[in-house]
Formats: sequence, C-alpha cells, structure tokens
Amino acid sequence: MTELAQALVGGILIGGLYVAISIGFSLSFGVLDVVDLAVGMWVVLGAFAAIVASDALKVDAFALLPVVFIVFGVVGWLIAPLIYRVRTSKYALPALMGLAFTFGLATLIRGGLLTTFGYTPRTVRTSFFSGNVELFGITAPAIRVAGFGFAVVATGLFIAFLFYTRTGLAIRATAQSKENAGLMGIDVKRISSLVYAIYTGLTAMAGAMLGAIYAMTPEVGLRYTLFAFFVVVLAGLGSVVGVMAAGLFLGVLQSLVTTYVGADYTLLVVFGVLFVALLLFPQGISRRGLA
Amino acid sequence: MSRPASGGNPYVNLGVLAVVVVALCFLPVMTSPYYIRVATGIALWAGIALSWNVICGYAGYISFGHVAFFGIGAYTTAILMQPNMDWNFWATLPVAAVIAGGVAALVGWPALRLRGAYFAIATWALAEAVRELTTVLHFTGGSGGLKTPIRLDENFFFYTMLATTAIAYAFCYLLLERSRFGFQVKALRDNEVAARAQGINTNLVKIEAFVLSAVIPAVLGGINAYWITFINPDSVLNTIITDQLVVMVLVGGLGHAWGPALGATAMFLLQEQLRVSYGETTAYIIIVGALVMAIVLFLPDGLVSLGRRARRMRLVRQLLGRVRDDVAPQRAEKQTEEATQ
Repeated sequence: MTELAQALVGGILIGGLYVAISIGFSLSFGVLDVVDLAVGMWVVLGAFAAIVASDALKVDAFALLPVVFIVFGVVGWLIAPLIYRVRTSKYALPALMGLAFTFGLATLIRGGLLTTFGYTPRTVRTSFFSGNVELFGITAPAIRVAGFGFAVVATGLFIAFLFYTRTGLAIRATAQSKENAGLMGIDVKRISSLVYAIYTGLTAMAGAMLGAIYAMTPEVGLRYTLFAFFVVVLAGLGSVVGVMAAGLFLGVLQSLVTTYVGADYTLLVVFGVLFVALLLFPQGISRRGLA
Repeated sequence: MSRPASGGNPYVNLGVLAVVVVALCFLPVMTSPYYIRVATGIALWAGIALSWNVICGYAGYISFGHVAFFGIGAYTTAILMQPNMDWNFWATLPVAAVIAGGVAALVGWPALRLRGAYFAIATWALAEAVRELTTVLHFTGGSGGLKTPIRLDENFFFYTMLATTAIAYAFCYLLLERSRFGFQVKALRDNEVAARAQGINTNLVKIEAFVLSAVIPAVLGGINAYWITFINPDSVLNTIITDQLVVMVLVGGLGHAWGPALGATAMFLLQEQLRVSYGETTAYIIIVGALVMAIVLFLPDGLVSLGRRARRMRLVRQLLGRVRDDVAPQRAEKQTEEATQ
C-alpha cells in the first residue's frame, strides 16, 4: 500500500514538470499551427546549458534558472519568424513543410549536442535541495518536491500572464482565429514570436529542473517530445485544465510502470495509451485535430 | 509537381533509362568490390527513400517512424534465418512484407484519420516502441542483436538490392503516376474534402498508400539484414535512418517520381565521403538537420525543381519574358508607323 502511495506521489511530482513542458508546447501549437518536434531538444538543451554555465561560472545551477529562461527566450524569438515564414508560405503543403522544418531543427540540435558532449549521461548538480522530505509516512526526494514547486510557480505565472494581461488576451485570440485576431489589430507574427519565445524559455527551464532529477543525454530528447505530444493529444488543444490533468496522468503512469513493470516498458505503455486514445477519440479529443 | 521534370521526348527518356540500367547491370564487371558496396548502399537508400516519398510526397502525411518498418523487415528475416528456424532467405521476404504491412494498417487506421501532425508523432512513437520492444524481448536478442548466416558474395547482394529497388520504382511509378490510385492519392493530398466529395474513400486510400510505403522498406530491411550479417536495435532501428530518409527525399524532390533516387544518391555519396575523410562522426547529423531546414526554407521542391521545365526556371523565364514584352509593343508601333509611311 505504501509502495502504491509512494509511486502515486512520485508520479504526481514528476507530472508537474511534464505540465510545465507541455503547456507552452500546447499554446505554440495553437498559435503557430506547427507541432514543434524540437520540444524535447529544448528540454535537453536547457539542462546542458545549466550544466555548462554552472560549471563555468561556479554558480549553483538553480540560481541560473532565470538566465536559462532569458537566453532561450531570445533564441526562440529569433527562430520563430522562420517557422512562421514556412507555415504561411504560399508553397504547396505548408503544414507538412512546417513539420519537416522543426524536425530539421531537432536533428540539428541533437547532432550539435552529440558532437559537443558525446553519449555520456550528465546531471544538473545542485546543493540547494538534498535529502528527503517526509510527510504522512511517504518519503520523496527533496529535489522532486522542489521540481514540483517550481512547476507550479512557473505554470501559475504563465496562466496568470495568459488570462490577466492584454498581451495574454491577444495570444488567446490568436490561438482561436488568426484572421479575426489580425482584423482586431493584433500583429499575429509578433504574437507568434512572443509565444514561441516564452515556450522555449519555459521548456528549457523545466529541462534544467528535470536534468537535476534524471540523467540527460542528447538521445533522450525524443522521449520528451513524445511525452509532450502525449499530453497535448490527451488534453485537447487550447485546454489549460486538460494539459494539467494529462501531464499529471503521464507522470503517474510512468511512475506506476517503472515501479511495477520496469522502466524499459515506459514508452511501450505510453504508445499503447496514445494508440487507444487516438482510436477512441478520432476527433483528436478536441475537434481541431481533424484534417 | 508530379510530372517528370525532364519532360521532352519520351524516347530520349527511355533511352537514358536503358543506358543507366545496362550500366548498372555491368557495374560489378567494371569496378572494385568497394564501389559495389557503395552502389548497393545507394540502391538500398534509393528504395527506402522512395517508400517515404509515397506516404509523404504523394499522400501528404509525414511519417517519422519509417525506420520501424525497415527494422521489422530486418528482424523478421534475421529471426527466420536463425539456425533453429533455418528458412530460405527468399521465403523470409514475403513474411517481412506482410508483417510490416499489417503493422502499418493497424497504426494507420486510427492515425491517418487525423491531421498530419498526429500521424507524424504517432509513427515516431511507433518507431520508439518497436525499438524498445526489440530491446526487451528475448527472441530478438535484446540489445545484443542477432547474427544472420554469412554469405560473402557482394554481387549477389548488389543485384538483389538493385532488382528490388528497381521493381519498387517501376511498381510505384505505374501505381502513382499512371493509374487511378495515383490520382486518388494526389487528390486527397491537395484537398481532402474535395476528394471525398468526388466519391473517393480517402481513409482507405490513405491506409493503402501507407501499407505500400511500409512494405518496401521491410523487404529492403530483410535483404539488408542478410547483407550486413549482424543486426541490433542500434543499427537497424536507429533514428538516424529516419533523419536520412527525410533529408534524402527533401534534397531530391518531394512528391516527384525520381526525386528520392536523386536525393539518395547525392546524400549517400556525401555521407560516404565524410566517412572516408573523417571517420564515423556525429557531425553528419548536424549537416542533415541544417540541410533539411535550408531546403524547406529555400528549395522546397528539391533538386529536381532546378530542372529545365520546373516551376522555378519557368518563373525566371517569365521574368525575362516580361522584359521582352515591355520592349515588344514599341517595336510593333514602329513597324506600323513604317508600314503607314
């Protein structure tokens, strides 16, 4: 019984970080109309940036989280116009080309990381949160609790920005309808860049956090891409509550599989659930999944 | 997009094709074993790239999991050729094709009804799931992999690979460029709602196209397993294979009948040259990624669009033509003036 409770709590704690990764991804999907296949690579890149920067500057990695956010925000801001250009080009099959473009981006980052760091797994080292937290007879590593706390704060700030500012309103309007948003005087291209910048910053920061919990290699990026997509499929587009529920569900699912079946089966189970979800909800759970 | 870029006289095209075929048939007589290996590799990649072009270029659904079918084919052949099974090599290929086709139908059935992005990631997840499955199952040899019987006959593999790829090309060409099925596939790619309004069962056509594009890499994967004599998840289920396919087809020309062959030849030679010069290097992945991005941005129709009749060249000619048109009326006026005088 304790084992089950332990697994559930561990899963929810990790699930919080999956929410932080997926929420920006879901929004940029809605605004840019392109699934960013590089999402997992931003996670890995964020973790590696934190490792390298904290080694070079002799600063604790967690003190650098805001820096990671700003740096990757700028990177995202610079890349977004290219994606926008591909997506809105008059050329045949722009949707497909958009996918190919982000796929190329993911491949480029993976190759760059492999060439620079090789295949050796690395972790983000921090001295802030060590030891365990114990509550109601359930123990959890402090770092995971901190990760969950970080995810709650980051997601909360993001949602507050989305729902209580004028820019947030413009973003939500763009996600609903680009044409109408444009007619209301919203610069859709600028909003797209902004959303992509926030998304890359948030994802990289969550990646740095995740890197303190799990070892990172350039190869695991794909795993997080699949996780983020899993969350978005289950949640349905544009649903913030859905993303939270699906992210936590993914965390619990992974935790249960790891505890009772074996870590090697995680992706198999994730794929199985994804397959069933696509089968049962051919509308893509939200209606925008239709062609 | 789908017409041969060379266009022109069909007899000239056939003649060129005949010369290429004859040259390829006599290649083993003319060159050293190393170049035969390279040519076998080109034939292999041209075939897999073709299969990816069927689903992506013709049906308009991008698949990032094509390596799964290649791996399924390779593992089927390898497992059936183990000493305890001891099947004939040729008998294993149809089995590989059937299994891969079945998996494609099963995955395509829910995933192809949705927007392209869902299909893209569903196939990607499939590839990862297959890779994980081969690592944990015992009859696939786990991460250690499997050995196949050794056959030291480069010419045999060259001809087998070449013939398979050639048959695949001929088959796909007839099916996609010269038949009703081809029109249906292209119609649903260009406008699915309109295609459905014309009475095309788009879901069925999409699944058929996906099965077709899964069967080819499975057969080639089987031959490949016999050729390289040792397979493991890292060699036949590596994501780099999918990366390569994407870049090859994009470089050659998406949705063009001969684009994949062109792209596969160019990219394979580039990779081989890099390997000779610098050894196995992950920098190749950087090149692949950068090339994909550059082509999407600047040359979305690939190398074939640089041909004589292609759209890009037509644009240039149109620009030149407009310049001439600006000049022409004045000349005409002068002529009429001269005529009246």
